[in-house]
Amino acid sequence: MATAQKRVVHYTVNGRPYEAYIEPNRTLLEVVRDELRLTGAKEGCGTGDCGACSMIVNGRLVTSCLMLAPQADGAEITTIEGLAQDSRLHPVQQAFIEKGAVQCGFCIPGMILAGKALLDRNPHPTEREIREAIAGNLCRCTGYTKMVEAIAAAAEATT
Amino acid sequence: MSTYRTVGKPIARVEGVHKVTGRSVYTADIQLPAMLHCKLLHSPHAHARIKGIDTTKARVLEGVERVVTAADLPKFEPRRMSNRAYNLLADGEVIFHGQPVAAVLARDAATAEEALELIEVEYEELPTVLDPIEAMREDAPLARRPVSEIDRAEARGHATVEVEEKASERPSNVASQVKFTRGDIEQGFAEADVVIERTWRSAIVHQGYIEPHATVADYDAASGELTIWTGTQGQFFVRDQVSNILRIPETKIRVIGLELGGGFGGKISLNQPLVAVLARMVGRPVKLVFTRSDDLTSATPSPQCVVELKTGMKKDGSLTAIKAKIVYDSGAFPGAPAAVGAILIGGSYNFPNLEIESYEVLTNKVSVGAYRAPGAHNVAFAIESQLDMMARELERDPLEVRLKNAVGKGDEMPSKARYPSIGLKECLEAIRDTEVWKSRGQQREASLPIRQAAGKPATTGKLRGVGMAAGGWGGGLQPASAHVELNGDGTITVVVGANDITGTNTSFAQIAAEELNVPLEMVNVVTGDTRTAPFAGMTGGSKTVFTVGRAVKAAAEDVRQQLFAIAAERLEANPEDDLESVDGEIRVKGSPDKSISFRRLAGITTGFGAPYAPVIGRGAISARQQAPGFTAQAAEVEVDPETGEVTVLRWATAQDAGFAINPLSVAGQMQGGTTQGMGIALWEEMVYDEHGRLLNPGLLDYRMPTALDVPEIETHIVEVPSEEGPYGARGVGEPSIVPGPAVISNAIEDAIGVRVTEVPITPERILRALGKI
Repeated sequence: MATAQKRVVHYTVNGRPYEAYIEPNRTLLEVVRDELRLTGAKEGCGTGDCGACSMIVNGRLVTSCLMLAPQADGAEITTIEGLAQDSRLHPVQQAFIEKGAVQCGFCIPGMILAGKALLDRNPHPTEREIREAIAGNLCRCTGYTKMVEAIAAAAEATT
Repeated sequence: MSTYRTVGKPIARVEGVHKVTGRSVYTADIQLPAMLHCKLLHSPHAHARIKGIDTTKARVLEGVERVVTAADLPKFEPRRMSNRAYNLLADGEVIFHGQPVAAVLARDAATAEEALELIEVEYEELPTVLDPIEAMREDAPLARRPVSEIDRAEARGHATVEVEEKASERPSNVASQVKFTRGDIEQGFAEADVVIERTWRSAIVHQGYIEPHATVADYDAASGELTIWTGTQGQFFVRDQVSNILRIPETKIRVIGLELGGGFGGKISLNQPLVAVLARMVGRPVKLVFTRSDDLTSATPSPQCVVELKTGMKKDGSLTAIKAKIVYDSGAFPGAPAAVGAILIGGSYNFPNLEIESYEVLTNKVSVGAYRAPGAHNVAFAIESQLDMMARELERDPLEVRLKNAVGKGDEMPSKARYPSIGLKECLEAIRDTEVWKSRGQQREASLPIRQAAGKPATTGKLRGVGMAAGGWGGGLQPASAHVELNGDGTITVVVGANDITGTNTSFAQIAAEELNVPLEMVNVVTGDTRTAPFAGMTGGSKTVFTVGRAVKAAAEDVRQQLFAIAAERLEANPEDDLESVDGEIRVKGSPDKSISFRRLAGITTGFGAPYAPVIGRGAISARQQAPGFTAQAAEVEVDPETGEVTVLRWATAQDAGFAINPLSVAGQMQGGTTQGMGIALWEEMVYDEHGRLLNPGLLDYRMPTALDVPEIETHIVEVPSEEGPYGARGVGEPSIVPGPAVISNAIEDAIGVRVTEVPITPERILRALGKI
């Protein structure tokens, strides 16, 4: 394609340094998936409406399909692959399995990161707060009930 | 109640850990060496002649490997062309907005995308027909060249319907029609104390899976072998279809069904044959991943439907007659569930007299496919709303009216088939006991003064109402098979060919563990690909646990018998009477010290020089008896008559699972389907302009329910055992989507006293019904 000048970007993803040489019009999602080969984040819409591509960038939940890769240059990024410590799942991950909140799984990486981002800033959310926190993440399988239960259970488990 | 150890228990998904850590592999995650990326050029017109395609500029763009049009593709017999699968790229004519016209193969997706813009297509627009009712008129333009024989292989995976649809005799947009009659319809209406006649409309909606369609194919010219990686509900279906289209024997085709990011009926086969053809043309791997816009524009959504319905009821609440004309808009290719709709509209209640006609009509819109209980919500909206209206007119309780007329075992469907054991009445009874339904009177009383003060329909202040409705799904049938094997360490592997989307592998693990009486941890379930797995039908029609589960059960029983036979010889016991399997050991009953472990049995059946044959169980079943699944649901809504806004406050769903092998999965299915029903009722609609172009090909404007739109969904699992399902289980995937539109419509009338007869019930439609706009 008629490419703009390629450039190097640096990220710290899940605590490890990465560098990629990319066209500046590529999205963070594309670079993480295609260059860094971390494919946990998914593309469901490409327009920031479904949340399947959610990542935590410098502490904030972002839809990485809407962020250009150079905008995140130098950022600390957490993807779903970075959530479990050694072999221990994050409480939100554990609760999603136990509560039956996982069905097809495609929205799950984004949904779990949305849940984690919520608990990081609000360890004791109400049901309404949980629903608000995941309202940008579409799930078509579960009807959300078990996801809300799982995030509430994870909040309980971490206190 | 049950004496089971593993089935019937809420078990977390066996593959859950892969999904929560991002390790599960979906099709878009596949990258192969030398892989080309494919993008499709979609038609901007709903109906046009293609006068010429100039690909010169696209071909010379750096990074473009190949630009393909219909001229480069194999040709098929004309009769095949009624099947969308054979229309790989539009040939001479486009018949819906979004139809693929050309394919670009390039080194990356961005280059392919850029090349699309360089393809020059000269179109001559043709008259379009967009409304299915207009399309039925004799003078309507034809949506496409006439179709003769219709290939219905895919539709048959969802519903087993024992009727022959009648194809049209002369060129017409009516692709098929079906008619059922019973008794004397005029006599029936004459006996009624109330007769209601309305027309009900429901929109085209999309399955809304979060993963867009994706396929990777690779063809090795030297060996003639084709490999396809794809998210599909039916890998064997894909293999059959690709074999037919590419004329390659199935021995040379390997379809690897990867993790599937939601299907709901819409992910059986779509682009797999085209991508396979392209891979064969270039001799390199080809990857096609739809964008959301591609998917909304050109996949296979659920049909628009118009139902003209007349029903009669006596003062005592008994039904006298139903007359229905159902018109499904099939889009540009046949595939709408006319027969299923005709059965379902008159299938939940005993109507002594009926006359039901159902039509499948072609238009210049995207062709439809299956979506969770295909065709059912459209007709349930009509009949379940109208039942409420009749009950209201006669001042009878709408739930009691349903109970009075509900079908049970032995009752006749409109198709004249008879119901096996079913649980509609039990679902209605379960809903009668819920808090949401019991609160109904209170809501009505609370809003009554406001209504009276306002004249008839309430027009000010937020008002609450409660509604209920029921629905069902006949369920699909298809043969299935499975293997169960004893591993070298004494653990168990189950091999199936069914693609797991709904937790079926977890249920299979439970079934094998139950039959062998071993801890669940000893069982691993593998979904093989089409080269290695025993055959299973598509994951559709709510039949995977119902059919493949039976095969797994039979295979596990086979393993147990083989283990018993070997153990009997070793332990000098009678295999039939004296042995039992407990926790990974075969024991002589009453003598726990006389036992042989699975591990030891594995050693003597697999080791070097071992004396016994390997233990491999085979389960292969035919499925002939459907196990229809019913649901009843109730909800409380709040309506703002100023703005027309509806808020769903509470929802209870009861569903007959026959026997819930995994109540956690069953409840999840019920909640998911219920939410999709809510989406159809209130928000979702694919909107086309007067030229037949889709106006909302994105998830901002195609409005699916978010976590803030839906309440907690309360589930009540009803268990009326089926005749043939494993442990009495019946299919649970589909029914829960069915009643949603009617539940909402009934609750809204309860709240504000007006009836909206078209879904989605948008604020605009409510204000219109209230006479405010």
